[in-house]
Amino acid sequence: MNRVIIGLMIALCVVVGAGLFGILDSRATDVFLEATRPDFQKIPIGVFGFQNGGGPEWLGGRLEEVLKADLQRSLVFSLVDLPGIGVKAREVSTTDKAVFKQAAENGVSVLVWGKSGQKNGSKESELLMDGFVYDSGSDEVVGGKRYVGSTSVVRLMAHRFADELVFRYTGEPGIARTKIVYVAEHGNARELFVMDYDGYEPKQITADGFLNLMPRWSPDRRFIVFTAYRSRNTQDIDILELATGKRWTLVTMAGLNITPALSPDGNFLAFASSQDGNSEIYKLDTRTKTPQRLTVNQGGDLSPTWSPTGREIAFTSDRGGAPQVFVMSADGSNVRRLTYEGDYNAAPAWSPRGNWIAYVCRTAQRLYKLCIVSPDGQKRVQVTTGPGIDDSPSWSPDGRHLTFSSTVDGKSHIYMVDTDGKNLERITFGGTHNSSPSWSPAL
Amino acid sequence: MRMRVATMGLTMVVGMLLVIQGGCSKKSIQSGGDAQSSERGMAKSGGPAPSAMGSTGSTGNLDAPSATFPDLSLSSKPEDPETGGLRGFDSVSGGKAPSEERLGGGGTMLAKVEPSESTARQIEEIRREQAKEQAASAEAGLRDVFFGYDSWTITEDGRQSLTQDAQWIKANAGALVKIEGHCDERGTLAYNLVLGEKRAKAVRNYLVELGIGANRLSVVSYGKERPFCNERNESCYQQNRRGHVVVRSK
Repeated sequence: MNRVIIGLMIALCVVVGAGLFGILDSRATDVFLEATRPDFQKIPIGVFGFQNGGGPEWLGGRLEEVLKADLQRSLVFSLVDLPGIGVKAREVSTTDKAVFKQAAENGVSVLVWGKSGQKNGSKESELLMDGFVYDSGSDEVVGGKRYVGSTSVVRLMAHRFADELVFRYTGEPGIARTKIVYVAEHGNARELFVMDYDGYEPKQITADGFLNLMPRWSPDRRFIVFTAYRSRNTQDIDILELATGKRWTLVTMAGLNITPALSPDGNFLAFASSQDGNSEIYKLDTRTKTPQRLTVNQGGDLSPTWSPTGREIAFTSDRGGAPQVFVMSADGSNVRRLTYEGDYNAAPAWSPRGNWIAYVCRTAQRLYKLCIVSPDGQKRVQVTTGPGIDDSPSWSPDGRHLTFSSTVDGKSHIYMVDTDGKNLERITFGGTHNSSPSWSPAL
Repeated sequence: MRMRVATMGLTMVVGMLLVIQGGCSKKSIQSGGDAQSSERGMAKSGGPAPSAMGSTGSTGNLDAPSATFPDLSLSSKPEDPETGGLRGFDSVSGGKAPSEERLGGGGTMLAKVEPSESTARQIEEIRREQAKEQAASAEAGLRDVFFGYDSWTITEDGRQSLTQDAQWIKANAGALVKIEGHCDERGTLAYNLVLGEKRAKAVRNYLVELGIGANRLSVVSYGKERPFCNERNESCYQQNRRGHVVVRSK
């Protein structure tokens, strides 16, 4: 009997301890250390090609191209032009000391090379990629990876290798295997699609024939929440399981049901509904299925976005007449206005690192561009410039990029850009109207 | 779950009937008996398939949040071998080859969505309904209301249009009227949905002021998602900032 009581007490201590630690821990991560500090020195990396060993002719080149693009986008590495510094591209082996020395002397920190081809003795057309890494700091071959799979996973091989490299040098998983869900015009309808973060491999995930809008990922990447016009006259917030295509309705209140966003722990769905007259923000407990209204005022409140700790929500409100970005605690208390510059600031997205909130800002020239603001409102930076209507910013899980839609090239397409406005890259090219991108969490 | 079992039962019965009748091709017998494809069939009918808008399946009560959706807590995340974490580099000292990592699926597993016959029917029905509404509204001579940039205030022109509309609505006591709120392409998708609703509600409220029963009027906002005009100039924008008054087909 005594043993049981002692056992219970120990268990209680462990639980309380864990709880306290949890609180302290999450406080500590409220504002993350920036891995993209201005003084962050990118790691010079040299990529030799992949020697082709019997596979399709394009294989080695494809792997190299995808890997280089991934490393460049990681913002962790800077690609060194090896021939440019006199290191000739040639067959490299793990014992090639002369090449390693030459590269190291020319400031290259990491060298990557590999082999690609058909897998030996495989019945079907299986392809293989070997990748090797030399590190000049430790002057040793760090190791290698071997990937095997069908032609459909060739890009994934390079993505995975890139993520391994980012992980080794930063302890973060990298973004090369992340996905973007977005809305594309399909016939007369708007349907949801999922593509790789670099715009490749788009796949349609809804086929309703009318409007599906504003998709967002669940934190475990298994589900997409979105607004669906179930008939042409009403909308719901639905959830779709990607692996099975199964679909459930989460919210069917009267009026508009829009801008769903799951909390970082998946336990709450914040969304906007106009069932009480004007658009207000609600929070649905996904475990007890009970909704709770968070905002109470005459203006329109919408577009909730969770802080990475789940303790605060930023949102759009036009309670002052024009839309502005506000922040509140996740229970609806402590509401404060965050943006003051300009008369149109909307569609906030809280960075997964916690340190910025991206949003659409209307400039003095009445252009709709992307801005970022710190959660205390002290720092504000305009990210994109020039023509085109920018909309729906969404952060990469590493907090270094934003994806968004823009009409800068005429039709609406999906783009990505670094938080300093550099490396603007268009990532959709097909279709007539692509919008509302949402970047998946990292794996 | 009960649905799944029922569906499985149904699939089996149908499959057996097909086999007994022998009137189907070998291929369809195979797909009826093949474990993998019948499982896929189950998955589809377990919840409304992506292609089945409007079909209810397991969507639950339409007036309250569904009580049946899956657990979304992050802690319930199962290990997915395809998308699993990174494993680090293998030592290759002494010319050893790295151990093999087999990749499949392409990261996040995605169910295939093939626009089905029912989707095509659905799309056709949407088109038919829209045409019907359009025709009925044109015949009724209903007029739309246009708005200023960022505005949901009804102008003098708008009031005149609505006064006319109200006469028709009063004269046609059985008709139900829907007001669609629309916006131009400027501004965000999300805020334009709210703005579109404000416009639609402003129109509805004015019609109510003119003596129309609110129960005959419904509102919906399409934001900037269903524009009337696709050019990038003010006259086009003006066309799209609209309260579109239509006779509802159902």
